[in-house]
Amino acid sequence: MIYEQIFHMVNVGIVILDLKLKVVKWNRWMEIHSDVSCDTLVGKSIFDFYPNLDIKWFNRSCKSVFAFGNTFFITYKLYKTIFPFKPISSFVTLFDNMCQDCIIGPLRKEDKSIEYLYIMVSDVTKIASYERKLLDMGAKDGLTNIYNRKYFETKLEEEIERCNRYKKRFSLIILDIDFFKKVNDKYGHLAGDYILKAFTKIIAKIIRTSDIFARYGGEEFCCILPETVGETALIISERIRGGIEETVFEYKKDIKIKITVSQGVAVFDNNNITKTELINLADKALYKAKKQGRNQVVIA
Amino acid sequence: MDADKNEIFTEDQKDILQEIMNIAFGNATADLSEIIDIYVILSVPDIKTISAENLDSYINNLIDLKKNTKIIEQKFFGEYNGSGLLVFPDINDDEISTILDHSDDINSNDSSEQVPVNEILIEIGNILIGACIGKITSLLNTYVTYSPPDIFPSDTSNKVCLSYHTDKDKTGLVMKTTFTFNEKNIEGFLLLLTNDESFDWLKKALGKFMESYL
Repeated sequence: MIYEQIFHMVNVGIVILDLKLKVVKWNRWMEIHSDVSCDTLVGKSIFDFYPNLDIKWFNRSCKSVFAFGNTFFITYKLYKTIFPFKPISSFVTLFDNMCQDCIIGPLRKEDKSIEYLYIMVSDVTKIASYERKLLDMGAKDGLTNIYNRKYFETKLEEEIERCNRYKKRFSLIILDIDFFKKVNDKYGHLAGDYILKAFTKIIAKIIRTSDIFARYGGEEFCCILPETVGETALIISERIRGGIEETVFEYKKDIKIKITVSQGVAVFDNNNITKTELINLADKALYKAKKQGRNQVVIA
Repeated sequence: MDADKNEIFTEDQKDILQEIMNIAFGNATADLSEIIDIYVILSVPDIKTISAENLDSYINNLIDLKKNTKIIEQKFFGEYNGSGLLVFPDINDDEISTILDHSDDINSNDSSEQVPVNEILIEIGNILIGACIGKITSLLNTYVTYSPPDIFPSDTSNKVCLSYHTDKDKTGLVMKTTFTFNEKNIEGFLLLLTNDESFDWLKKALGKFMESYL
């Protein structure tokens, strides 16, 4: 009686399944979040109601629990949707489904043989949202909300390692806004900040989702173009150059500012060069672009 | 079976223990492949009793920590009480993601998101440590509960430091087995460490195991 009450009042979902994965028990927490009553489910296969669970990891875990009596600790990071419940209202905009950690383990008879399997489900949406915010804070630039230098350098190292392993190639663009100091001097630093933000928004629309665009420092930016070399890298850089050149940045109502951007492109071609050497190559190309009159792309 | 201090187990007990481990690891290998399609070869385990003060140095001599070394620890509790350490001496993230079949259930919403390597390692730890301990405890007619697996931080400046066996006068029982995932060229070793609080129970359980064969 007391255990039954606790079973229903705990703030975790508890499901008990038999050897054929038919539902034996479904506690109040599960009823509330699933909107399915225990009576509806009892005696039926869990897959009848949650076909999304009829997949490798879940079957593997259940078989393993019955064969070895082990306990699985599954986090939301590995398998995001275990039971597809709605997140509570304040997290609806962040996640489509409630983030869940779950434990799957055995329930035994007196003679120690395994009779049932339990699944305990915890709502960890709040933790997942904090984690997402923390990751964003660590990886993003505060002003422009694109990736920061630290994240860029980590990604660049990973890309080099990946390309070395699989004999792939990629391009790196270093971009620098021409005469940015003059914008700051003439219109003030708030106008400069506005330009930096608007500049990144334009470029974010031009590049692809797989490209990694980051603020390297000041008015200098970097972009990693995975699996992209030669003509394609040049086309993307030219689109960026043209897109910035033709934009009239309207700071407040009556201040219209025009800027241009110079770019240096370096290609990683399995040539055993390091991250620093690659950045230096792109930087030298950028220097050449500046020297040749700015508002242009130079390939190293 | 070596002992670096006082002999805890008799020769007979050591023989039975070795026999139980051979059966348990054989059964675990067979069931892993037949029931959950994990093809792993577990070697015949090497059993040692090691004093607590030498345990950390034994483990650190065994594990040459590299940047790519991954260690998963899972504790177990019950009459049989201790800890399992799964060690991949040198494994990269891509290799980790090939060990288990995730072909129909990778559910990353965001394509730029990285493979959750630590979570995959935790699942592998759950399976391998659980399979071996499950078979051993079943032969010894008991069962255990488990703590969530822990991943040791991949910081090569630190040595592996176990969180128990702090009492230097005590002795631990270490069972070491090597494993290889078929056709994947991934190998490592598994250490099962038994706490000395379990020794009295273990001796009785070994006796009962023998009786059942007499």
